[in-house]
Amino acid sequence: MMSFLAAYHPLIDLLLLNCGCAFGQYIVLRAGAFSIANAGLTSIGAYTAAILATRYGIGLGGTLLCSTAVGLVVAILLSLPLARLRGVYQAIATLAFVQIVLTLALYAEGLTGGALGLNAIPKLVGTPTLLICVLAVFYLMAALDRTRLGQAFDAIRQDEIVAATLGVQIASTQVVAFALSGAISGLFGGLIALHTYSIDPNQFGFPMLVSLLAMVVLGGRRSIYGPIVGATILTLLPEIARPLSDNRTLVHGIMLILIIVFLPRGVVDSLRGLSFRKPRRLQQGVASDVPSA
Amino acid sequence: MLVIDKLSIFYGGIQAVRDVSLEVAEGEMVALIGPNGAGKSSLLNGISGVVRSSSGTVTLQGQPLHASAAHKVARAGLIQVPEGRLVLGEQTVMENLLLGELALGRRQPTQSLQQIFDLFPILHERQKQYAGSLSGGQQQMLAIGRALMGSPKVLLLDEPSLGLAPIVIEQVFGALQKLNQAGMTILLVEQNAKRALEVSNRAYVIEGGRIVHQGLSAAMRDDPVMMEHYLGGPLADNSGTRREDLHA
Repeated sequence: MMSFLAAYHPLIDLLLLNCGCAFGQYIVLRAGAFSIANAGLTSIGAYTAAILATRYGIGLGGTLLCSTAVGLVVAILLSLPLARLRGVYQAIATLAFVQIVLTLALYAEGLTGGALGLNAIPKLVGTPTLLICVLAVFYLMAALDRTRLGQAFDAIRQDEIVAATLGVQIASTQVVAFALSGAISGLFGGLIALHTYSIDPNQFGFPMLVSLLAMVVLGGRRSIYGPIVGATILTLLPEIARPLSDNRTLVHGIMLILIIVFLPRGVVDSLRGLSFRKPRRLQQGVASDVPSA
Repeated sequence: MLVIDKLSIFYGGIQAVRDVSLEVAEGEMVALIGPNGAGKSSLLNGISGVVRSSSGTVTLQGQPLHASAAHKVARAGLIQVPEGRLVLGEQTVMENLLLGELALGRRQPTQSLQQIFDLFPILHERQKQYAGSLSGGQQQMLAIGRALMGSPKVLLLDEPSLGLAPIVIEQVFGALQKLNQAGMTILLVEQNAKRALEVSNRAYVIEGGRIVHQGLSAAMRDDPVMMEHYLGGPLADNSGTRREDLHA
């Protein structure tokens, strides 16, 4: 049994990393911001961790804390100009951000090692750490789901005017979403760096951006299980479909088109539509005659 | 309770609302009627802060709100039911209703879920259903119920009869009347003048962005000259033809 698991060990690690990164993408999409900046934010987190761990010998905790903080701060700064944009214009602006980060990583050779990237990063992260981080992020998302902030995210995503008339402050709510997204992306960027010995700029480019987006669109943007399901499918699919591995991008593309056409809300949210969920506060609210806060 | 003084709203260079003043007293249902494009919805959006007004004041129980953003106006207790029954279709009826609580802010709730279910029993029945799967009338009821969850001091309604079948319009207006009788203060924007004048205490007629007439609803309803002049003839029943030009 253990040897069986051991064979799939790298795959499990990859899956956990993808889940985390997908959550970073999920949280902005859920809040109605069409940001695809996460590849850039992950890259910043990864370089922060790699530089701190390799050059300054800082330990695991400090490194990850710094990656998270840097991702958070950059995301908040990024959200300020983005608050003036909507929809596809946000996507274009954040795509530009990803390209800028990529270019900086390529040309700031002294700091980032240029196209060769950074190598010989100490491997400080194993499966348990990854699992703890994914669970922590999942717990955060689940907690958020029950708060007014989670409700506000849903309202903004579906209709900004309605959200405003319901008392939701759109700009500041989206800044919170960006901040969370940046922190999660930074953290998992750091984990990628400390897990894989080496990083290079191109690993955080357009392909990563597309696959993060695909994971969330595929899994679902509403339910907190969406990113996990999306990341799982898109991580395991290439393994299952090894005979098609030469055409991996083709398979991705076809799947994405099929999902958008037939399950536009993603796998989890579409399935959720089939079985009625019991609202949590229902009985309480009716019985006590006072809607719970 | 709600006092609007000389409110003006511009869209680019076009003035949609010109120096409009109106008042809604506590417990009153006031209708704002007028033809298509008269500035009714603009005025309502200006009051609720969805659109910025360029001059004039909006005060709710003495609290100035004209400079506040929409979310602050809602939290102050001036809650709008937007035009076109904008329910959040991806969420269940219950989730939509609970979202309404966001507008409570720090105020104490005066409406309960049970009261809303009593008013609209269909919402109780359909609470687990996705809001997008409801009929038009049910969605309008949900939009009103959701606004009520924020315990409004004044409920602003934008064209609640829009696109609804006559029988459903009756249900919605019946519910509004019940709400008003229970003490809810309501400002109702309606193109369906006949029905609006039947349920409201007082009414303002708006045309070209100006208030051109005001008075008791009952008196207006019985005034053939007024009806002819501003509202397209003695209204037999325009509920079925309400999208037509009422200037004709």
